Parts: sequence; structure tokens; C-alpha cells
Amino acid sequence: MVVAEKPLYYLSIHEAQELIKNRRLSPVELTRAVLERVAAIDGRLHAYIDLMSESALAEARAAESEIAAGRWRGPLHGIPIAVKDQLDTKGAPARIRQFSKGVGDATAVRRLREAGAVIMGKLHMSSLPGEFPLPRNPWNTEHITGGSSTGSGAAVAGGLCLGSLGEDTAGSIRNPSAFCGIAGLKATYGRVSRYGLAPLSWSLDHCGPMARAVEDLAHMLNVIAGHDGKDPTSSALPVPDYTAALRLDIKGLTIGVPREYIEQCAPRTAAIVLQRVNEAIAKLGSMGARIEEVKVPTLRLATIANAVIYYNEFWAAHKRDAAWVLQHGAAQRRARVYLGLLTGSADYIQAQRIRSRCRTELAEVFEKVDCLALPNQAGPAPLVKDVGPIDTLYKHVQPEFHGPFNLTGLPTLSVPCGFSENDLPVALQLVGKPFDESTVLRAGYSYQQEMKWYEKRPAI
Amino acid sequence: MDKLIEENLMAVLKREGLQPKAGDLEQFSEIITLYMENLRQLHSIDLAGEELAPVFRPEWKPTDSK
Repeated sequence: MVVAEKPLYYLSIHEAQELIKNRRLSPVELTRAVLERVAAIDGRLHAYIDLMSESALAEARAAESEIAAGRWRGPLHGIPIAVKDQLDTKGAPARIRQFSKGVGDATAVRRLREAGAVIMGKLHMSSLPGEFPLPRNPWNTEHITGGSSTGSGAAVAGGLCLGSLGEDTAGSIRNPSAFCGIAGLKATYGRVSRYGLAPLSWSLDHCGPMARAVEDLAHMLNVIAGHDGKDPTSSALPVPDYTAALRLDIKGLTIGVPREYIEQCAPRTAAIVLQRVNEAIAKLGSMGARIEEVKVPTLRLATIANAVIYYNEFWAAHKRDAAWVLQHGAAQRRARVYLGLLTGSADYIQAQRIRSRCRTELAEVFEKVDCLALPNQAGPAPLVKDVGPIDTLYKHVQPEFHGPFNLTGLPTLSVPCGFSENDLPVALQLVGKPFDESTVLRAGYSYQQEMKWYEKRPAI
Repeated sequence: MDKLIEENLMAVLKREGLQPKAGDLEQFSEIITLYMENLRQLHSIDLAGEELAPVFRPEWKPTDSK
């Protein structure tokens, strides 16, 4: 079946849920179409490390029966969703938990199941043992997907699921979203439970949705957001309907551009990225937003502060299995242990004080603007052959565009904003006030609807 | 890698009862050097009375998880 000249596996969640709700599409038919797509191309993309075909089809059949009986649970009912391996899933604990069975379903996974989503399986992430091949970018399989939600980027862009749960400690949702031309949201720290997420860094890890369209992120966030007593950092703030914000355009919004910080990152940023992002910001202005330059002086130290906290907490989280990691773990994990060991308590505390200063400066900026716009990635996805095993770590320790918003915990959206000269995706990053995911989704959705980049599909 | 940094790393590894994987110190020398340079930058700013950023949320009660 092809809907609106689009194969089923490329439907957005929003399109599929309308069809399923109105019984014009069966969850079983949709799940089968996605499984056939996986069988056809995942041998080249390597997104899945644990495909759960049988249980996915059983869940799809159950969804079909419930919907036929008039018990439609909501927009994710019968929708095929895949999960980054870092999140525990019943019967498939996160592989980076070397010596633990995990918790069964992570809270975010449990909430997806309760909403009726079809769990397709577990997706590759960076730092897994070398037995799993590196995922390839659907736009050009000679290029990487970005990480660490490597499989999520490949799977969503390639039509191997309709949405994915990712995780972001220093850009791991936004980087693969940008490289693979999809939308990704790192919600505010505390907005989505981390229970059942194998920790990289407790105070920087963020769970969030990745999908082909911004409205799909709103549907997923509606389900996975909210207080969880099993996560001590989970917020009790009420969860709004994130799809409601999408009905508003961006007229009247003020968008801040941290130009000075962008200039500081410019020597390590490809010209095409700066060009595409400047074009996107100008477009937001022509659509009715007010564009204002802002200054956040301490942002220049935010990336290294994020790295210091990351590596120190990583070392603490993995101390018990460090001997195994140092002899058998992936190069990135071994390097993080060494860097964590070299980080002293005064460094960690100084990084936390910089975190505090950055939050204060950004709070002052957010008195004048509704969100920030800035680049996302340093360049288009590099060639697989050009990327070394620890190259990501170089990004973590010099000023760039991801770490500052893990450090400050702010909601941050990646939305495609065009292509490079060699047809690889480029993305814009929108950053909002704490717990104001609605505004970044609203701005991102307006931009998406104007430009329609999300309608372009890789040729694979 | 700076000799002092290498000695420091070997000392903390020893304290923790750990051995680096053969070849790691050479392989990771560049990133360790860059990290330590940027770590020094972290202390280049006078934060005056700035305090720690709290992460733990006080409204959480341990009984919630039961």
C-alpha cells in the first residue's frame, strides 16, 4: 500500500496515526511494511542490533484488535518505534551495562508500550563492542550517521521505524538527527525520566524523541514526558499538550542569535553549515519572528565544563567495571575512563560553578527572547573512512554547539535546514527556556512547514 | 603527552588497581593533552561568589520509588 505517493514505511507518525485511528491503515500492515524495509536495507545501514520481529507483530495484532473494538489509545497506538540500546527494554537490557541485568522496561519505553506503540527492537549506539558494524548514513552509506544515537539516526531516516527513543549527553540526539536529516528533541533535564537508561553521566543524560517530522516529536513527547518517582531528578511540573503549540505560527516570537559564540566556534565549523543556518535564521525573520543578537559570555567555557562533568561522572558510574572496560571496552569508553581519572574534584566543582553561571546568563537572555537559534553540527556527516575511533571526544573538549545545552539542561530541537554541496543534511538548532519545549516545537514546526525539507527522502 | 600528566595518570590508575590497555597511552596522547589544556582554561575565569548548580531536586521523596 502507498499513501499519498509515499510508501508506508515513510509515513510520519502524524500521518500514520490519522489513518490508523480512522481504520484506513492496519498496524499489522504498517509493521509488516517496516519489517520488509528492514529486511531490504538494514544489511547496508546496520541500524538494528536486536530486531524484535515476532513481538512487534504480536503487539501490532493486539493494537489492531483493540482499535477494531473501539479502544484507540492515542496517536502512538500501533506505531512502530525503535529504541536506542542505552535504554533497558524487557528482555534486552542495555549492552553497556556489562554486569547488570537492567530494570526491565525503562520508564520511557514502558510509557510507549502503555500508549500502544509497537516496539520494533534495539538500535546501535556508539561504544558498543566492535562485533556490531557501524551504522551507515541513508543519504550516502559512505558517510557516518553521527552518534551516539547512531542506529536511531539511520533507522528513522531510512524508514526502518517511524520514530525512535534516543539519548543525549553531549549532542547524541542532535548530532545524528542533523547528519541524517531528521528532527530530534533533547527535552529539558527532568522532563523525561532517565529510569532504565544506562548512565553515561547522571546529570547530563537526557532521553528524547527522534522522528522525521517535528509534529511526531510532539506526539512522542506527550507520551514519554512527566514525573516518575523512580528518577530522583524527574520534574513534577505538569505536562502540556505539545501538539497544541503547533497550531500557532512564529509571528511575535523573538529569536536570539548568540553571534559572538557562533564566531568562537566558526574556525571548527564548515562554511556550508554557517551559510545554511544563516539562511534559516533569515527565513525565520521573514516569517515574522524578531531576530535579536544576544551575548552569553561564559558559553565559551560551557563545552569543556560539560566534558569535565561528563568524564568525571562516567568514571564514577563505571568504576566497578573499569578493569573490564580498560581491557575489552571500545576505544571511546577507555578514553573516557582515562580522562575521568585525570579530572580532579576542584575541576568538577569549577565546572558545576560554570554551569551555574551559564544558567544565570541564559536566564537573563531569556527575559528578552523566546528561544535561541544557532548551528547544530560542525560539518556535514564525514566519510566513514575519515573518522577515527575517538574523534567524537575532540568535539567534546572545544567550544561547539551541543554541550552547552546539556550543561544547562535546556530544551533543544534539531530541525533540518538544507543540504551541503554533496547532498548531505544540515540542521538548525533551536534552544528554549526551561520546560518550554512548546516554543521550540512551535518555531521548528513553522520553519519545517515553510521549507518542507522533511519531505526529501534519501535514495536508498 | 606531558611527562607529569602521564605520571599522574599512571599513579591514579595504580591507586585504583587498574592497568591501561597496551598502547592506549600512545593512542590517546593527543586527546589527553588537548583535554588537559582546555581543563586549565576552565580555571581562567574568576567566578567570584558563584555557587554550584544544584541538580538534585528537593521535591523528590525516597518513598516515591517504592
